[in-house]
Amino acid sequence: MNTQDSMNKEKKFVSQLLTDKPSALQQSASVCREKEISSPLPELLGFAALAAATVSLASCKKDQEALFEVNNVMLYDNSADKSKLKSNEQYVSILYTNLFQTALSNNTVFELGKTLLSLGDQELAREVLISNFFNDAGVQMPTADEMNADIDAFIVETYKRFFVRLPSEAEKTWVKNFIERNAYMTPELVYFSFAMSNEYMYY
Amino acid sequence: MKRRDFIKKAALTTVGTIGIPYILPGGRLFAQTGSSSGQHVVLVMFAGGVRHQESIGMRYLDDAQVGEPYPGNIMYNLLNGTAPTQKIVYGTGQGGISPIPQILGQTLQQQGTIFSEVKAHYAGHYAGLNSILQGSSINGQGLRSRPVNPTIFEYLRRYGGYKATDVWFVGNGIDGSVPLLNYSNHPDYGIQYGANFFAPIVTFNQISQNYLGNGKVYHPENELAPMYKMKVFLDNNFSQNGATLHALGNTEEEKQSIKMFMGQMYEKTNMGTVALPPLADNGDSYAVGYACEVLKWFKPKFLTVNLSDVDQCHSNFTGYLSSLHRADHSVGHLWNYIQTQVPEMAGNTTIIAIPECGRNDEANAILDQNNWLSYDHSDANSMRIWSIMAGPTVPSNLVIGSENNPIGRVSDAMLTVADLLGVKSNVISAGFLAHDTQSFFDLL
Repeated sequence: MNTQDSMNKEKKFVSQLLTDKPSALQQSASVCREKEISSPLPELLGFAALAAATVSLASCKKDQEALFEVNNVMLYDNSADKSKLKSNEQYVSILYTNLFQTALSNNTVFELGKTLLSLGDQELAREVLISNFFNDAGVQMPTADEMNADIDAFIVETYKRFFVRLPSEAEKTWVKNFIERNAYMTPELVYFSFAMSNEYMYY
Repeated sequence: MKRRDFIKKAALTTVGTIGIPYILPGGRLFAQTGSSSGQHVVLVMFAGGVRHQESIGMRYLDDAQVGEPYPGNIMYNLLNGTAPTQKIVYGTGQGGISPIPQILGQTLQQQGTIFSEVKAHYAGHYAGLNSILQGSSINGQGLRSRPVNPTIFEYLRRYGGYKATDVWFVGNGIDGSVPLLNYSNHPDYGIQYGANFFAPIVTFNQISQNYLGNGKVYHPENELAPMYKMKVFLDNNFSQNGATLHALGNTEEEKQSIKMFMGQMYEKTNMGTVALPPLADNGDSYAVGYACEVLKWFKPKFLTVNLSDVDQCHSNFTGYLSSLHRADHSVGHLWNYIQTQVPEMAGNTTIIAIPECGRNDEANAILDQNNWLSYDHSDANSMRIWSIMAGPTVPSNLVIGSENNPIGRVSDAMLTVADLLGVKSNVISAGFLAHDTQSFFDLL
């Protein structure tokens, strides 16, 4: 008798025992003990029964499907990736959205594009435009007290709002020191600087 | 320190400071001043395609419309000649029957010199304007792209050391790539040597006023200074990443002056007190009016203003005559304004007027309200233009050249400006001039 036949026979035996006559287990064990004296076969059968039971139980488990996921992480641009110059229309549209937290109409964007085109010094034109925007009460920005209460957070939020990136530690340190040392530096002037910066002209 | 030693050292220091050469952006020591015979120059690009026959030819309808034998001069502020006596359509009122009164007591021709037969380089507007400002005849100067070669503005600022508000370009609109003409794309020149520019009919109209006319006023030291300082920090950080954005180079003082000027223009526009010509009913006259205001405010060394309303000649010959008459009226007003309203420029300003191209000899098939044929610009007649100039060093009442003896090219205008403002040799050395380009003064 080969091992496989022996296992099958034992498996059948144990299964029958488990289902039909659970109480016979004790008797069966006694029989086995009697047979131990005369032959090693019962020991093998017991082992085989145990293995068969294990296999049987294991075969009933449901397969687990592997699930691969990624964690949500906020990504920001690096300034080095900004190489395309904004058009006048893009600039005014983004600027307005950044300052007022609402979008400009297409007609206004078109008109503003023409207005900027009619001036030779574009830097000056942007400066005048921004100063006009700041004369509007609708600009969304923190107060000076709010800025000074948590300058670090203000700087991070300003970089994210205008540059769509996080400041480096060096940038954060410099801007923080500059704000702290200049009594006249308000959120409005900080926003003004960012809106006038060269980096803001690129995307 | 003894008083005598102090005076001696102070005198030496003063002399030394004056004598220390400074390097111009162009790499030259000192700005040229001694060689400039005119302290201010105004260049009128009398553009839009001016047909030789109706302008300096003084043919009115006689040459252009079959069966209308009525010659005459409709540019009597610039040219000597009798105005037409019949079929008057270029003036004011119903049908344009009332000619605009003459402004100048003496025509520019009487005050200066006319080059009556000058050759254009191109028969098109934008290439023609470029040939005036670049002094070159480069092929491949595309529309909607900046000049390929350096402009007179850049030569003046780079080699003459003129500051940004010394050099102005007043455009009559923002169409036709006009706003691109204030500096070139040339890598050795460009925006940092460019001219300040306004297109007044857009810059100062009601729409632009809504966006630019209510600017917040910031304290220059307490507010603007730290704002600029932070901007410099941000820019330096960004330039470390390889990107730089050049600017026109107006200083903070110049920027403040321009802002104040804009504020005044908004006020004057709303009050109707801009120095417009007596009759101002088209874009050209408005451009000239605001150019007068720029002259009054900045007293620039060089100002260019372009006109183009005559271009309606493609489909409306009557309108073309009307615009030609108004262009003459506007230039007359400009010259009169300089002499009477800008004392710093009166007597030391040279004016040059030149079209960028002419118009065809043969008409197209389009008839206007008077059943007169219209004219395009593409044939040999379109290359026939003229130039007129007047100023303290310009000979008076002189006519040079004729139909059979053309003298001068359109690119000469630029070199003439360079000649007057002391950078002629630099412009020639730069090597971008069209072949045979000369200063008009060298052709006298």
